[in-house]
Amino acid sequence: MLDLSRVQKELVECNKDSDISGVTLTLHAGAADLTHLAGTITGPLGTPYEGGTFHIDIQLPSGYPFEPPKMQFITKVWHPNISSQNGAICLDILKDQWSPALTLKTALLSLQALLSAPEPGDPQDAVVAQQYLRDQPTFVVTARYWTETFAKRASVGIEEKVQKLVEMGFPEGMVRSTLELVNGDENMALEKLCSS
Amino acid sequence: MADDEEFQSSSNREEEEEEEEGSCFYFSDQYDEDDDDDVNEETVLEGLEDGAEEDCHWSVSSVITKESLLAAQKEDLRKVMELLVISEQHARTLLIHYRWDVERIFELLEQKGKERLFSEAGVTIIEGKGIDLSGSTSMYTCNICFEDVCSDVVTEMDCGHCYCNDCWTEHFIVKINDGQSRRIRCMAPKCDAVCDEAIVRNLVSARHPDIADRFDRFLLVSYIEDNNKVKWCPSVPHCGNAIRVEGDIYCEVECTCGRQFCFSCLLEAHSPCSCTMWELWKKKCHDESETVNWITVNTKPCPKCHKPVEKNGGCNLVSCICGQSFCWLCGGATGRDHTWTSISGHSCGRFKEDQAKRTERARRDLYRYMHYHNRYKAHTDSLKQESNLKETIQRKISISENKESRIKDYTWVMNGLTRLFRSRRVLSYSYPFAFYMFGDELFKDEMTPQERELKQNLFEEQQQQLESNVEKLSMFLEKDFQYFSDEEVMDTMRHVFNLSNVVDRLCKQMYQCIENDLLYPLQRATHNIAPYKSKGLERASELSLCWDSDQSLKGMKTSNEDSSAQCDSAADGVSNAGVNVPAAGKRTGLQFHGSSSSEDSGCFSQKRARRDGPGDAPLFDLNVPAEVVDKL
Repeated sequence: MLDLSRVQKELVECNKDSDISGVTLTLHAGAADLTHLAGTITGPLGTPYEGGTFHIDIQLPSGYPFEPPKMQFITKVWHPNISSQNGAICLDILKDQWSPALTLKTALLSLQALLSAPEPGDPQDAVVAQQYLRDQPTFVVTARYWTETFAKRASVGIEEKVQKLVEMGFPEGMVRSTLELVNGDENMALEKLCSS
Repeated sequence: MADDEEFQSSSNREEEEEEEEGSCFYFSDQYDEDDDDDVNEETVLEGLEDGAEEDCHWSVSSVITKESLLAAQKEDLRKVMELLVISEQHARTLLIHYRWDVERIFELLEQKGKERLFSEAGVTIIEGKGIDLSGSTSMYTCNICFEDVCSDVVTEMDCGHCYCNDCWTEHFIVKINDGQSRRIRCMAPKCDAVCDEAIVRNLVSARHPDIADRFDRFLLVSYIEDNNKVKWCPSVPHCGNAIRVEGDIYCEVECTCGRQFCFSCLLEAHSPCSCTMWELWKKKCHDESETVNWITVNTKPCPKCHKPVEKNGGCNLVSCICGQSFCWLCGGATGRDHTWTSISGHSCGRFKEDQAKRTERARRDLYRYMHYHNRYKAHTDSLKQESNLKETIQRKISISENKESRIKDYTWVMNGLTRLFRSRRVLSYSYPFAFYMFGDELFKDEMTPQERELKQNLFEEQQQQLESNVEKLSMFLEKDFQYFSDEEVMDTMRHVFNLSNVVDRLCKQMYQCIENDLLYPLQRATHNIAPYKSKGLERASELSLCWDSDQSLKGMKTSNEDSSAQCDSAADGVSNAGVNVPAAGKRTGLQFHGSSSSEDSGCFSQKRARRDGPGDAPLFDLNVPAEVVDKL
């Protein structure tokens, strides 16, 4: 059975110093019990992820902490070890190298470390890894663009997006309806607008 | 070669010289001329008698039953324990990591030294543990559950990491359920130490005895599953036995359940084919890929009904039986108007030559395959028919034995029959061998066409010799000797006897030729074949000892309640209920099953009568712990 008291202790422990560590851990919105959590990490300074806040979905299996937690990026990230499609993470400590002595906080910190030190030799996303190895500048630009677009989305209001798209030359009415259609995803809206 | 010396003195000096050059004998040519055959047969017999038996390919196989599984691994454990001066559980961890290869462990000890050898396997031996927590009553915070617990319920592993018992137990259970019993690592991050099996067993059995049993069983069968020299018998339904082979692992064995198989690939015994060849051949015969190939090359699907259509002559305008006409060259539907050279409104003649070549090739391949397959099948079928011969012959023998005659001993008929079965097998498998040996599939670039032709001639010569002698043996064995006069019986007996020896000799030569002249020179591919054994497949002998002692895995349930129960079940012909049967208490005594005394011999769960007794002396040497050997 899931060790609830440990999870409660971890929740308290993790949020004690979250302004220093840059990671937070909360209950997932609408979760009925402690098995579904939500974590955030801030993008490490000096990386293309700087300034972004990345949301991570955390599912605790019943064997936790003796089995590793299941973690997945909700926020889209451009990174060799994180799927650009679904946010799946390739990190050894979340798989066979998990140890019960590790905690959710240490796991989140490891993810943060992963953001600053990608391991393209063991990629989750082959396309990103290829780009990382062959064309670093483009990789950095793309990763930064994704950070700007997705990891800072909360701060960018819908009006700013509308304005941006209108400046590109699309009619405002169309921009608004398209944005609405894709739930405010600027990139998808742009794609739709271009194809229509 | 002592062999050759003796031949020199015989009458066929020329033939002998031939043999030295790697060629073969020519018995059968002369065998037809009746005057000569005895001479030839004698010659072969002389050669046989000097006893130059199967050379470097020695292998000894033994059957490991559920009962003897523990005893079987004791010797390996003991060797490692003694050499490295370590406990049994550390020895086991090492052996599991290095796949029960004791030689390899000793080699690596030389190369890497003890420390690296141990650390790579996850064995941590710390002299005098850090903190002694037992006895004190202080509180300790477990780093897993973050609870403060009394220090008498925490456990420190060999690596020095310390957590509360509840967390350890939970960890062990998760790992055991995950199938990782053989390598349960410490809970500390990046710690590679394998947990003490006694601690695992004690903690887990306190809460879930069934899971602790499973853990023990996993450790026990590691000897079979993580070991290149031990394999489960592939019998279906499974007989519960495993076979251990010492020496050459390319061999063919027979389990006590009667199942014969190739130890290397676990399929049926298939020498002189290599495992690769046999796998390919089975596949080929199974999915008739050659037929499919022929169909694709020689037929075209009708554009209307999609049935394959073969062109049976005429021009390139083909009509399907469904009435649709189409162009043979491009497969497109056409009208019906045409001349001999063109079809109205249709022209596509470019790849005609290429097509013809491909068709020719496919046809040749198919014919080649059919050639070998027909012969392979013919001999396999003969083998099946000849197995009926056994009953007929037994009937004939009983008639003969009851009639007024000097001759009372008819064992030669059965011996001849056994020889016939064995050589027939060899003969039938020699065809798939030849198919791959001289075909393009496996060794295309290994031989020049000239070399190939030469080798093929050499091999086929031997194959033909064998074939004609096998047929002759078969013929003599089918004679109705029960109505013969004594003289005729003697004559038949001499023929059967001599032909048996000739055939045995020829089989041996064929295997030698395959190994030395055909497979050995190959550069790129390694094909190992199980050696030829005159006596037939190696019958694995049973490990004849059940052994359990205080130092052995505590609570490991490997045998029935006591030895008498074991004897009973075995005598009933029921295989032992096995590993799950709870042992009544710990057995500390040593029990021997199958010592020389006659009443003990009933204790073997033999499913099949065997000639060689299970108490062979060399086996004891190999499998019995030293202290037991001393007592023998």
